[in-house]
Amino acid sequence: MAALTPYTYIQCPCSDFSTLGRSSDPNLPAGTEADDDDDRTFDPRAPRANYTLYPLEYLLYCEDCHQIRCPRCIAEEIVTYYCPNCLFEVPSSNLKSEGNRCTRSCFQCPVCIGPLTVTSVETKPDPSLLAAPDNAATPHAGPYALICSYCAWSSAEVGIQFEKPNGIHAQLAKLRNGGSTRLTAKERKERRKDPSFRPQPATEGQGTPNEAEDLDLETQFANLKAFHQGQLANPNSADTGLSALGDLGFSSPTSLSRIMSIYTGGSLQDKKAKSRVGAMREALDANEGLQLAKLDESAAIEALRSEGHGSTASAAQLADQPPNLGEEHLHGRGRFTSELRPIPYLLRTKRSKRCPVCRHIISKPEAKVQTTRFRIRLVAGSYIPSIAIRPLSLSGGTGTGTGTSASGPAVPGALLEPLRPAHYLLTFKNPIFETIKVTLGAPAKTPGRLASKVTVLCPEFEIDANTDVWDEALNQGGGSERDKRRRRGEDGAAAAGGGGGAGSQSNINHQNQLEVGKIWERGRNWVSIVVEVVPASLRLEEGDPPLAEDEDVLEIPMFVRVEWEGEAGGDEVGSVATRDREAREKRELAYWCVLGLGRIRP
Amino acid sequence: MSSKRTPHPPSGPRPPVHLSSSLTISDTAQLTGTHTIEIRSESVIHPRARLESSVGRLAIGRRCVVHERATLGAAPVSSAGLGRVEGVEVAVTLADYVTVEVGAVVEAGETVVGEGTVVGVGARVGAGAVVGKHCTLTPYTEIAAGEVVPDFTVVYSNGLRRTDKRGVAELKNKGMVRQIDVLRRMIPSNPAKFA
Repeated sequence: MAALTPYTYIQCPCSDFSTLGRSSDPNLPAGTEADDDDDRTFDPRAPRANYTLYPLEYLLYCEDCHQIRCPRCIAEEIVTYYCPNCLFEVPSSNLKSEGNRCTRSCFQCPVCIGPLTVTSVETKPDPSLLAAPDNAATPHAGPYALICSYCAWSSAEVGIQFEKPNGIHAQLAKLRNGGSTRLTAKERKERRKDPSFRPQPATEGQGTPNEAEDLDLETQFANLKAFHQGQLANPNSADTGLSALGDLGFSSPTSLSRIMSIYTGGSLQDKKAKSRVGAMREALDANEGLQLAKLDESAAIEALRSEGHGSTASAAQLADQPPNLGEEHLHGRGRFTSELRPIPYLLRTKRSKRCPVCRHIISKPEAKVQTTRFRIRLVAGSYIPSIAIRPLSLSGGTGTGTGTSASGPAVPGALLEPLRPAHYLLTFKNPIFETIKVTLGAPAKTPGRLASKVTVLCPEFEIDANTDVWDEALNQGGGSERDKRRRRGEDGAAAAGGGGGAGSQSNINHQNQLEVGKIWERGRNWVSIVVEVVPASLRLEEGDPPLAEDEDVLEIPMFVRVEWEGEAGGDEVGSVATRDREAREKRELAYWCVLGLGRIRP
Repeated sequence: MSSKRTPHPPSGPRPPVHLSSSLTISDTAQLTGTHTIEIRSESVIHPRARLESSVGRLAIGRRCVVHERATLGAAPVSSAGLGRVEGVEVAVTLADYVTVEVGAVVEAGETVVGEGTVVGVGARVGAGAVVGKHCTLTPYTEIAAGEVVPDFTVVYSNGLRRTDKRGVAELKNKGMVRQIDVLRRMIPSNPAKFA
């Protein structure tokens, strides 16, 4: 079984049941639900918990609301759009007109998504092998192709070659697979007049030459739109020769009026009504945007037969393909790798994050694309204490009998023995510059089917402020007031010597025993406490459902309440700052977290 | 790891070599084994490349490049490959213009790599495999023992294959010539050490 590193996940208060429930049932007074929630133990195995637990590193903190903010409860704003390949910033106005892809020469291989480079495909005059290095200096010329350096895919393979090595995006937009250029409307018109371009006379006797003309999607849409707009503007201009046909069509408004006239019996007004409503006809030829579906797939079948399955594009490759407006028509498109096109890079964004409540910015990246720094970044790690978990091995020490026969697994990540008490050291580290008071609450038994017993030996303690390391060192020399305070803070634990590393070392030596209500170890801005767990047995009763995935992981829900005295003011605009500048304000922060200790041995 | 920095001189007898006078071979390349190692003209053997001829002869064609830590003629790892090492005459044959990139392994046992093929970084060509001409084995590709890869195949490391229809074999060979030209100026050659 895979070893499990102990972890701590913190539940963001945004997913609090009380706040979630309130909106759905406004009639209930808010207080009752909050009470409800207070009684409930957070269950880390609840399906909902999957979406509310985050490692400390993922969390942000709003300084104004004094609340944790998770990726789910922040409002995001896009700062810049940029191409991940050329790191070019794209103005958002361009984005609207040109789409969300890089319009410079950044392309991805459609087969393996590697970056493509523009390379000359022209065959140079034979360099006399190893002799002439000056050959390398000859300027590249001739047709260019996009080449993938990873898998050797080349756009020449699908018949796309470029005349110039720059402005590839614009050139590509005009090219179809196979190398034929996309016709502009003007060219199309000229072509229609030119008899040499006329498609083959319909040998099968079906389909007029007009229908055989291929339009690309963009032109087809433009034609259709123009046609329908013309129809709407001037319904009676429709050629009368088709009106008889139009009358019968389902889509024709005349059909409706005709049926209605039957019911109303106004047969005399029929003629008038008809002229009023007018006949809307459908598009009839390519000029009007009609494209016949090509149901003849023998070419595709033939290609499949000759080239095999390997020549077809995979679903992932097709999904990566950007929409191509120069494409011929929708029917039977994009099944072969020969129909894949280079993919322009999708643009990426840099986002700033705001608190949804007070709208203050809690994370703002530098607008420049090249820098990865942040202007503002309020990470939760610098506001709430971090919790580190370490198995505590008592057997290694002097082992003077204290009645505790147990110890945690010596190796981190080792399996927990069922029904045997194990000890874990929780180290709380205070990141803020104030002394904080921490109160822990954990259920005596973990929720869920396999209830392990949990005892937090010291659920209430204080952690010193995160002061400068040098302050500490300097103060120590004088045997300062601070040192005394520390000793008082020991709550009677056998404290000895000065603080710092030496002190904590001696702590262990003196007291290799677990006492309820006492801190195990304490440092400049951190405190270690002991948690005793008795893992449940994984033996299941007959008829019980089998163990779910990761159900054998011992997870302890723990309620952490942090209290400190911060500087008051600053919250309310225009508060009397002058008067109580020095006044301290009591603050508290409370949240659930989950400690994953390890797997229980089956 | 540190011992790799200064390669030990190959223990045991030196393999008989048949080296062209125009090749470039670093003196920190490691040639081991008992059979002949033949390297033809203008090939480049990078420092710390390993050529093992304990199973059979190694035949390296013209204008091949064997990068550092690449191994030619390695003992097969798969059981299918192990069956192929008995009584082979030519362990590995590299045709002309073959590139074996960093850390790639070509196993011994009548293995053939065709002309102009690139064996990518960390790729492994199994014993007895026959890789066609102008193939590209992308990094970390595995070619099973005894497999036959047709000409102009691009093998992706996830097993996908594709035929290279660029038709740039000529160009590629020319590029290779240029690369060799640069390499021979960068790598101090010392074929006398192995002779």
